[in-house]
Formats: sequence, C-alpha cells, structure tokens
Amino acid sequence: MPGSVEVPTFNDLNVEEISVSSAVLKGAAHHYGSQCDKANKEFMLCRWEEKDPRKCLNEGKKVNECALNFFRQIKGSCAESFTEYWTCLDYSNLAELRQCRQQQQAFDSCVQDKLGWERPNLGELSKVTKVDTSRPLPENAYHSRPRPEPNPVIEGQLQPAKHGSRLFFWSW
Amino acid sequence: MAVSKVKQDMPPPGGYGPVDYKRNLPKRGLSGYGMLAIGVGVMCFGYWRLFKWNRERRRLQIEELEARIALLPLLQAEQDRRQLRMLRENLEEEAVVMKDVPGWKVGENVFHTDRWVAPLTEELFNLRPREELLHKRFGFLWYV
Repeated sequence: MPGSVEVPTFNDLNVEEISVSSAVLKGAAHHYGSQCDKANKEFMLCRWEEKDPRKCLNEGKKVNECALNFFRQIKGSCAESFTEYWTCLDYSNLAELRQCRQQQQAFDSCVQDKLGWERPNLGELSKVTKVDTSRPLPENAYHSRPRPEPNPVIEGQLQPAKHGSRLFFWSW
Repeated sequence: MAVSKVKQDMPPPGGYGPVDYKRNLPKRGLSGYGMLAIGVGVMCFGYWRLFKWNRERRRLQIEELEARIALLPLLQAEQDRRQLRMLRENLEEEAVVMKDVPGWKVGENVFHTDRWVAPLTEELFNLRPREELLHKRFGFLWYV
C-alpha cells in the first residue's frame, strides 16, 4: 500500500528571500559565482545526488544566506556604481552585458578596491569542480526495488535449430 | 567672281589639321586576372572579419551563459521552496475539503514508490484561478 507523501511544513520553508530583480542578479552574477561558490556547489551537489528537493532544504537556506550576505556587502560599499551598472543593464530587453562595459569597469574597480573581489575570467565559472561535503552519498537514490537475479547459466550443448527458423516459409 | 571685302567664315590659314577616322579602342584598366584577384581579396577580407566577429560573439555568449550558471543554485532553491510551499497549501486544502469523505487518506501517494516525483503544473495549480496556470505554462512565450 502506498504511504503518504511527506511535504515539509511552512516553518521549514520560511527562508528570508532575496527580493531583487533580474537585471540586478545578472549584473552581480559573475562576482556572486566566485564569492558564494562553496554554498552554491554544495546545494547543487545535494540536489543532483539525492534527487529530492525536500532533502536539500538546509543547503538551500545556506545558499540564501550567502546571497543575502553578498548583496549586503555590495550595498555597504559599492552601492552607487552597482546601481548605475544594473540600471544600464535594465535599459535593454535582453540585458546584454556587452552594452554596459564602462559601468561594469567602474563597478569592478570599485569592488576590487574596497572588498578585494576579482571578477573571474572567461571560462572559470563553467569549470567542473569537486565538492568536499560531509553529507554521505545516498545509496539507491531512486528508491528502486531489489533487482531480479540474473538468468541461470544454460547447461548442455547449444545447437542451431533444425530446419531453420521455421518462420512461415523460410527454412533458414 | 570679284574678291569681295565681305566677312565670311573661312577655314583657318593652312587648312584644318588631320582628322582621325581610324578606330580608337585603347586597352586600359585592370586585366581579368587583376579584377578576379581584387574580388577574391575583398571576399577573403570579409571572411576574415566575419570569423573574428563570430569568435568575439562566442566569447560574449559564453559570458552570458556563465552569468546564468552562477545564478542557477539560487533560482533552483527558490523554485524548490515555491513548489514545496504550493504542495503544502494543496495538502491543507485537501484535508479541509475531503474531511467528510469516508475512506480518503489525505496526502496519499498515488505512486507505488517512495522517490520524489516532480509534481505536474496542473497538480500544483489545481486550486488556483486558471489564469495563474496559463501564466505559468505560457507566460514566457513572445509569439502566438
């Protein structure tokens, strides 16, 4: 008999969300990727291994905390240049990064001077990384039933069929 | 006729100069090979510029995709929480709606397995106005 689906309560799901629009996120994405790398990669690893969002709520909370921290730091030190950068990005429909190189330069230099963050070079965020976690690897993540035993070994000599396949009129 | 002192239009003294009546088709301009070379050269220059710009566009595209990669965990976590919240609300609604139905187990798993089955959009938005379901399914489309 099937059991019931466990759904976490509202308390578990209550996390301080980031209320920020898409242009802001896109503008800060490269720096966010290099600063909040650890929490992000742990969450993604958990999600992909467990294949269950209910088991990765804690890691998700950490991702949110890291992101909030990140934005608070930017707001603390480099707010004006960041605002200029994301308003420039927000001007176009697609938020193309190449239209706003000047503002990006200003924001990058400000962040580097005040917070010491370096913008990652091209290709560094798409590298495959190994994540070091204390969470054990789940065995049987798909909850599959025990596999049936393999077929027993056929005893005796195997000969080709006498008179062929005997499929309709074919005799081979 | 006596020579009259009237002013007439006469040929210049010594007669006119020689008139050229022979064909004059001078050979000028580039040869065929030259024109072909210029055409091919312009095309090669165009290709070179195109390839360089395509490589630059590829670099720009990689940059935009990396921005998306960097943001994925945040968006995935938010999406997970949203789905689980909607499932929780549906569960509580179900408990309220079906409390007088005999033999109904609230939150019963419709599958015979334990694993997490991703909920369907229709299932999540079952108790909400149809507009929300349509927005979730088709809101990103730019065309009709």
